[in-house]
Amino acid sequence: MEQKGVTVWFTGMSGAGKTALAIPLEKELRKRGLKVERLDGDIVRQSLTRDLGFTKEDRDKNIERVTFVAKLLTRNGVAVLCSFISPYRSVRAKVQEEVGNFVEVYCYAPLETLIERDVKGLYKKALAGEIENFTGVSDPYERPENPHVTIDSSAETIEESLAKILQKLEQLGYVPPAEESEAYTADEEAEVEARLAALGYL
Amino acid sequence: MGLFSRLRGGKKKRVVFVGLDGTPYTFMQRLIAEGRAPNAARLAEQGSLLRMDSMWPWVSSVAWSTMMTGVNPGKHNIFGFIDRDPATYKQFIPTSANMKARTLWEVLSQAGKRVIVINVPVTYPPRQVNGVLVSGFLSPSLDKAVYPASFLPTLKSLGYIVDADPWKARESKELALQEVNAALDARIRTLFHLVENEAWDYLHVHVMETDRLHHFLWQQMEEGHPEYAPAFYDFYRRIDDMLGQIAAKLDDNTTLMWMADHGFCSIKKEVYVNRWLMDNGWLKLRNVPPDRKKGLNEIDPVSVAYSLDPGRVVIRLRGREKEGSVAPGAEYEALRDEIAAAALQLHDPDSGEPVFQEVFKREDLYHGPYLEQAADLILAPHDGYDPKGPLYKETLTFKGEELVGMHTFDDAMLYVGGRAIPQTRFSVLNVMPTILDLMDVPQPPGLDGESLV
Repeated sequence: MEQKGVTVWFTGMSGAGKTALAIPLEKELRKRGLKVERLDGDIVRQSLTRDLGFTKEDRDKNIERVTFVAKLLTRNGVAVLCSFISPYRSVRAKVQEEVGNFVEVYCYAPLETLIERDVKGLYKKALAGEIENFTGVSDPYERPENPHVTIDSSAETIEESLAKILQKLEQLGYVPPAEESEAYTADEEAEVEARLAALGYL
Repeated sequence: MGLFSRLRGGKKKRVVFVGLDGTPYTFMQRLIAEGRAPNAARLAEQGSLLRMDSMWPWVSSVAWSTMMTGVNPGKHNIFGFIDRDPATYKQFIPTSANMKARTLWEVLSQAGKRVIVINVPVTYPPRQVNGVLVSGFLSPSLDKAVYPASFLPTLKSLGYIVDADPWKARESKELALQEVNAALDARIRTLFHLVENEAWDYLHVHVMETDRLHHFLWQQMEEGHPEYAPAFYDFYRRIDDMLGQIAAKLDDNTTLMWMADHGFCSIKKEVYVNRWLMDNGWLKLRNVPPDRKKGLNEIDPVSVAYSLDPGRVVIRLRGREKEGSVAPGAEYEALRDEIAAAALQLHDPDSGEPVFQEVFKREDLYHGPYLEQAADLILAPHDGYDPKGPLYKETLTFKGEELVGMHTFDDAMLYVGGRAIPQTRFSVLNVMPTILDLMDVPQPPGLDGESLV
């Protein structure tokens, strides 16, 4: 089966688990023989968009450039995993329109949890007023109305969230199903089936 | 904090967990009341002996998968002893390779605890733990059931066996008794060896033989058969001795627990759900009788539903099922409602008793990423009516002599030593959080139940 390109777009507030999910997803997709590229907010801003800040205008530009790259890759049969806060609904809608094959993954955790986690120490600074336009604190986050997948990192394990995303990607035909590791040889299966039959289960 | 209590508090909390597959809570209470289980009686006074709900459907694969993962089947992906790929209709036996959630022993291992887990259903192929794992009766052989392989010689020297031979047990009641007693010997010998000679924080030994005894002899026990009823109680005397002897070997920092994953009762009738679907025009087969080798591929494409053991009804939904004909949405919902309503109207043709007490839509029972693999309806029978899954039977019901006992839902059992826990209504989902709590290990996110302590 030829690989169908797709952009998997992780959106959600800082610390909600976008990158934490994109990394194991990349690993799993590679294991299944797919071409994968990961575009991550923190990385892109050091290269492709290092000239941009965090005003609404600059944020839009950031996503615009990323979208352009994602579109090219998607068109060429790559699975592109994008992790961006991307707080504005209209901007995400535009990404979808541009790239076509688009799967939106909404990464959620309650604000209290995010503040408590504060992996990058950003919430502390934002709450102290040291960062302007910080999503969720001093700037709005518009939650998706109809995401393909919603994950709640405060209530699910990474394995569970990953399973939900993979299942959706399989269902949409972007990812071939994992090959079940064969637990039994044919003879062994027959033997175990006979045991189950003796107990009335078959 | 005084020195003494600090020392105590610093000690590692351990758990010994005995699985008594299918021993009903009410039966254990009766044994205690009749003086047939003196050790269980004493232990019940020193702890909490509780009635528990199983998980629908109440087969051991589903109930123990739920116990060991702390999540519902929509998250662990084990829905029965048999399942199918809806796209190809290839049937398979779900194993630990299909189990999508982390097990209690994996969580404990990660927390640095050493675990020894013996004979729990759906642990084949054995997954890696910090310690030892010996898979249960779905293992093709003992050699393939053991992690790490270096533990195999110890088991062999103990004369350990994977399971009693159910075909021998079907031959005669005498052979059934011999088989389950011999398997119990091996299990008890192994348990005592492990308690005293191995390092562990969590030791779990699963006794499958109770379930086997019940399947073959429950009715004879209930009817007070002159030979088999005493043999049945003798078997339970051995279980009771085992519980008493383990308890005597444990220190104050170790909690004894035991659990039954479902209850038991006598079978009035086996009920063949696919026959019922055929009689109502929902299922048609390409050949009657069907070619067994072709399995579900003998289903004629005009069919709208079929059943998997026990009482799981699958709608032939378009886009999911091979040649599925039922449109998603209104048509699917209407058919589910129609079949559910008809099931509640099904009565035993001889006695007139209703067969099913309740019909669940899958979303009533399960939630999670694997909900889509679940059957669309789960028929919950009245005790005594055992729903079975063969694709074809000539009759709707059957009463056999070999298999005489069946599972029940609300008569499972949990024992927690040294703790006073009030009896509330709870289920097998609460067991894993309770064990983690007793061992001071944090609960991983996403569990579906809460600790009882």
